[in-house]
Amino acid sequence: MSEQNISVALDRDIRGLSLADEKVAIEVKDWNLYYGSKQALKSINMVVPENRVTAFIGPSGCGKSTLLRCFNRMNDLIDIVNVKGCMTLHGDDMYAKEMNVASLRRRVGMVFQKPNPFPKSIYENVAYGLRLQGINDKTTLDETVEWALKGAGLWDEVKDRLNENALGMSGGQQQRLCIARAIAIKPEVLLLDEPTSALDPISTLAIEELIFELKKEFTILIVTHNMQQAARVSDYTAFMYMGELIEYTDTDTLFTNPQMKRTEDYITGRYG
Amino acid sequence: MKEWFKKGEHWIWFSASTVSISVVLVFGLLGMIAWKGLIHFWPHAVYHIEVQHQSGQQEVIVGELHDTKMKQVEDNTAPHGSREVPQYLFKIGNRDVYGIDFRWVSSEDMVGGVERLEKDVVVIERYEYGNVYGHIESVKLNGQVEYNPHKALEMLAEQVEKGSALHSEIHHLEKIEIGAINYKIEGLRLEEKRLRANNDFDAKAEARLAAERAELQKEFDTLHQAVQVLYQQAESTGEVTLRIAGERTLNVPVNKIVSFWQPNNMTTAESIGFFFSNIGKFMWDEPREANTEGGVFPAIIGTVTMVMLMAIFVTPMGVIAAIYMSEYAKEGVLLRMVRISINNLAGVPSIVFGIFGLGFFVYILGSSIDELFYSYALPSPTFGTPGLLWASLTMALLTLPVVIVSTQEGLSRVPRALREGGLALGATKSETIMRIVLPMTMPAIMTGLILAIARAAGEVAPLMLVGVVKLAPELPLDMVAPFVHLDRKFMHLGFHIYDVGFQSPNVEASQPLVYATSLLLVLIILGLNLGAITIRNRLREKYKSLDH
Repeated sequence: MSEQNISVALDRDIRGLSLADEKVAIEVKDWNLYYGSKQALKSINMVVPENRVTAFIGPSGCGKSTLLRCFNRMNDLIDIVNVKGCMTLHGDDMYAKEMNVASLRRRVGMVFQKPNPFPKSIYENVAYGLRLQGINDKTTLDETVEWALKGAGLWDEVKDRLNENALGMSGGQQQRLCIARAIAIKPEVLLLDEPTSALDPISTLAIEELIFELKKEFTILIVTHNMQQAARVSDYTAFMYMGELIEYTDTDTLFTNPQMKRTEDYITGRYG
Repeated sequence: MKEWFKKGEHWIWFSASTVSISVVLVFGLLGMIAWKGLIHFWPHAVYHIEVQHQSGQQEVIVGELHDTKMKQVEDNTAPHGSREVPQYLFKIGNRDVYGIDFRWVSSEDMVGGVERLEKDVVVIERYEYGNVYGHIESVKLNGQVEYNPHKALEMLAEQVEKGSALHSEIHHLEKIEIGAINYKIEGLRLEEKRLRANNDFDAKAEARLAAERAELQKEFDTLHQAVQVLYQQAESTGEVTLRIAGERTLNVPVNKIVSFWQPNNMTTAESIGFFFSNIGKFMWDEPREANTEGGVFPAIIGTVTMVMLMAIFVTPMGVIAAIYMSEYAKEGVLLRMVRISINNLAGVPSIVFGIFGLGFFVYILGSSIDELFYSYALPSPTFGTPGLLWASLTMALLTLPVVIVSTQEGLSRVPRALREGGLALGATKSETIMRIVLPMTMPAIMTGLILAIARAAGEVAPLMLVGVVKLAPELPLDMVAPFVHLDRKFMHLGFHIYDVGFQSPNVEASQPLVYATSLLLVLIILGLNLGAITIRNRLREKYKSLDH
């Protein structure tokens, strides 16, 4: 059924955006995920366009975070999770046997719902991913840290206290630090799992502006509870319900002219 | 009142009372140990009493009053058919004259009360035979005899200072310098044995060893001569003659004197000074007279070295085991059984660990090491005998469960979000554990280590089987490579308490030492713990804002 949705969406082109014209970053084919015997994702098919922001919306428990965590194989950590289907990143099978999970995660960065900086200095937080790759050269590190912090819009605020503990920052700063930490290793895709749900409105605004800047260099996937946020920041939006991808098209169409009854009910606030 | 019960106030009072009882008990315990131990270092006044024996014979006793007890004596005229009579314990010293140095005297036998002796009584502490109590009659030096009490006292002070300087010099030369040479000569002897065993003992080796031996022998001779000269000097430091109780005189050569003092002449300030210098001596001197006199320095060194080594062994072992169990091992029956076993291990009586240490570490592991690496030294064992290494390993085993359990708790407290944060940046699981999880677990590991130290430092029973001795000839820690001598036997404060308290022939003399040593042991454990707690708090400070 989702295939049908996409084809419907592909026909529509209101804002000049169309999935058919985009370069493909990630392709998902017939994707199923089971928690033990319970199926959490049901036959998902979609393509994620490159250098665009794709938002996932839907009521709690619809599977949007679970799907996001499939893109960097974070679900591998849960023993009872089984997956079926095919997922490719720029043509590479992400779930192939020979795929190194650690190097896949270097290509697909992730920022979590709650800011989770390491109990280290601001500098070391950003440099962490590089040090993991064995990069210890001072100049390279300095340059990359500066670039990443600038990219995350944090440089001016912290440049004088790079050696202070990251835990002393405000929540919004911590979240931007986590973004800086994620982009420092220059991933191809950036996954944002409800990145502003623990933040105040001003920090939220800062992060949203940042997302707009970041899509020039990264393919961004964002899960959000906040429909206005999805409407503001994303180019494409996917609506999920009960583990199924109900509708997936460019954001304007989805919010102004949804094709499916459930989507309409959700965005007009009839449930969820 | 009914209202009071209704509100549940009585529960608050009840629970608060148990806390206060515990607090009172702890402070009572520490207070008693501290009081009984510290009073030993305070200068005791010397009393003079006269005793009338049943035979009509009179006797004078001069000594320190150490204890007073009430004894029930039958008396038909008294209301309850008995009355209480005070009994006094006097330290009369002069063991070489009287044979014993403590004596109980009943107040019924005393003529007059317990009265303070007039000033100028002198207490002399000797290297052998304990204290002397008496008055100075004369001091003899180089054939001249000084009778003037003031001048004699001055001369004695001067000579005793000279004597103790000589004594410490002799001690340094004999114990440290000559000790080091002996250690090297023993090393050469073992090397020769090893070469012979390997059939490598040719003319060249023989010549080399002989040369080295001759070199050491020469050094030894020089030192030996120096020591002889010092001994001669020590012998010519003179002699003091004392009038002791019972109108007798006693000659004490100055080189047998540790120190002397006049307790009845001391001002409060002098007493305080004496008190602290005595504590210093107790901590830095070596024990004498079957551990009933002198200090406990070797026991302090032994305890601390053993505990440190234990910490070095137990921490990595416990932490790595905990990491495997909580991070890698699959939940299941086997893991649950391992967990239960570890928890039960903490409840095994410590003596059982001692038996295991002796049977496994000493007899099996130690003997194998000897056969493999030190076979040339056999039949005298190197590691196949109780020693520092085995004692600290046994202790490490004993405290392993504590470290494992607290490390596991710490690991489980590290937020999942942080682990995921590490993994999401492309770290492998082991990298995440090493770089993120483990540093954050450090406070919990330190907690485990604190508990382990407290347990290990206080444990005595297993140590008696695996390496602790009453009197160790050498310290386990010294300036001769390899500095920490894992094969040596050592002294331990806990065992020292047991030995002095229960194995000593001189019960009265040892009693205050038991308290003093106990206090010291408590303080050392406290010190070690405070060190660890400081580190833990610093680490906690670092990660404190993590939980918000």
